[in-house]
Amino acid sequence: MKIQVAGPGCPRCQMTEKNVFNACAELTLAADISHVTDRKQIQDLGVWTTPAVIVDGKIVVSGRIPSVSELKKIFADAGKAA
Amino acid sequence: MDWGAYLVFLLQSGLGSLASYLAAHVLLCLLPAFFIAGGLSALVPKDAITRLLGRKASKFVAYPSAAMAGSVLAVCSCTIVPLFAGIYSKGAGLGPAITFLFFAPAGNILALAYTGVALGADFALARVVLSLTFGIGIGLIMALIFSRDDQAHAEAADTGYVGSEGLTARTVIFLVLMVGLLIFGTLQVRLFLNAYASFTLPIQGFDRVQDFLFRLVPFDANKGEEGVSVQGAILIGLLVLIGLAAWRGLGQVHEGYNRWTWASLGLIALTLLMAAARMEPKAHGLEVAIPGKTFGVLLTMAVLAYMARRYFEAYEIQQWLWETWRFVRQIFPLLVVGVFAVGIIRQLIRPEWVQAVAGANTIFGNLAGVVFGVFMYFPTLVEVPIAKMFLSLGMHPGPLIAYLMADPELSLQSILITASIIGRTKAWTYVAWVALFSMISGLLYGQWVDGASPMILLSYLTGFFVILTGCLYAIGRRQMAVLRAAEIEEVGRR
Repeated sequence: MKIQVAGPGCPRCQMTEKNVFNACAELTLAADISHVTDRKQIQDLGVWTTPAVIVDGKIVVSGRIPSVSELKKIFADAGKAA
Repeated sequence: MDWGAYLVFLLQSGLGSLASYLAAHVLLCLLPAFFIAGGLSALVPKDAITRLLGRKASKFVAYPSAAMAGSVLAVCSCTIVPLFAGIYSKGAGLGPAITFLFFAPAGNILALAYTGVALGADFALARVVLSLTFGIGIGLIMALIFSRDDQAHAEAADTGYVGSEGLTARTVIFLVLMVGLLIFGTLQVRLFLNAYASFTLPIQGFDRVQDFLFRLVPFDANKGEEGVSVQGAILIGLLVLIGLAAWRGLGQVHEGYNRWTWASLGLIALTLLMAAARMEPKAHGLEVAIPGKTFGVLLTMAVLAYMARRYFEAYEIQQWLWETWRFVRQIFPLLVVGVFAVGIIRQLIRPEWVQAVAGANTIFGNLAGVVFGVFMYFPTLVEVPIAKMFLSLGMHPGPLIAYLMADPELSLQSILITASIIGRTKAWTYVAWVALFSMISGLLYGQWVDGASPMILLSYLTGFFVILTGCLYAIGRRQMAVLRAAEIEEVGRR
């Protein structure tokens, strides 16, 4: 599973990244996590509002900080679908 | 001249300006405003609004929602740039993007609340109305001028959002209640100001403290300066305590509530209540009067606390508090430094200079306001105390509005960022339009203040728009002609 966190490096984006890491750790999920900070790249991903979380190219969260429990649910569902 | 004494005088003046700002203005307006900003940032799902700005949105939906997005979403500077780029390249296009960019700095809740309390509700209202109309106006103009480019740029399909929720009723009610708190605290209405109860705290010596404070922070009421009252001093003390408690309590609230969280929330509630009451030091003790607004503040806070417990998840409330504290930490230090500097600068500027340049509502005066706004870069919200300083030094309200319109919209920094997204030609065209519109809004507002009849103003405005529409129509025609010529050429070649 490929997880991207998009955000220009603001405190909210760092918190989102931390929550993503925690969610993956709690699920013992082996995911490829990256943080996209380049504005052009964020735009190409189709993200308007940061922070955003993108799972396998799909924007699942945008413009807010998701909680660990919400992320766990999203990742678990995405894992089942794949 | 004794330079040492002069330096002390300047420092005193800076501190005085800071102290009276903290005591008088900040509390009942900025404290709730920061909480609202935090709530907008943490609780409002952004895609609820950005969905209205998609490629297929009609003009009548896109422009107003762009303005709304500006005031609701743009409280955090790190959301502005991607959102602007998003609207421009993937969404409704150049026009709405410009409207968003123009309205965001003037229309957000922090700027409005602060303008309203520091300069007066009429300035705040003028700022909203003017920047809304002109924001949409400039957006439309830009879309027209660059209509060809706009059609050309990427018509990429929207990436589908997975599972997005709309704005829920509880969030709306919660935010409206906080706006209510802000209004209760600041609105100068009889019902809120009448004292319904009063008592005297039998502690002696407050009158001497008051005398001491007035000597410590000298002020000149004629220049629009304010001294620090005993109540103000108490409130400043409470603010410092809140700051200390919130550092641990709100800064780390995302890890869960701790003792400091409750301490800081309790202190904030106490401060708001104290600020709403009226205290007067007398020889026999401190006289405390409880006006109507104290009850209003108490009631709204109680309902807010109930709602937070009953209808929101702990995680959401923690996010809200964390975002609020983040705004405070980001903006408040700048504001403190800014206000302090303004206090010093005001002693160095002679009122005659300001009056000579912008004392009357002339084209030159308004132009000076705009130029000052563009070339001086002030951090968020610091434009407000600066505007207040100019007002008290004798600047005419017209040029002041011109300055207030131009300063947040145009700074070298924002021009450069904008240019990197939409290109240099478009960015500078935008700058020219903003300068022109700011000047005109200054002139019109100045006339309004000077007592010109609404009919005359309306006819000026209509005349201006007729000329503008004429020019734009001509440009549009010429572009169409160029397009058609190109088409004919193409057909001819075949």
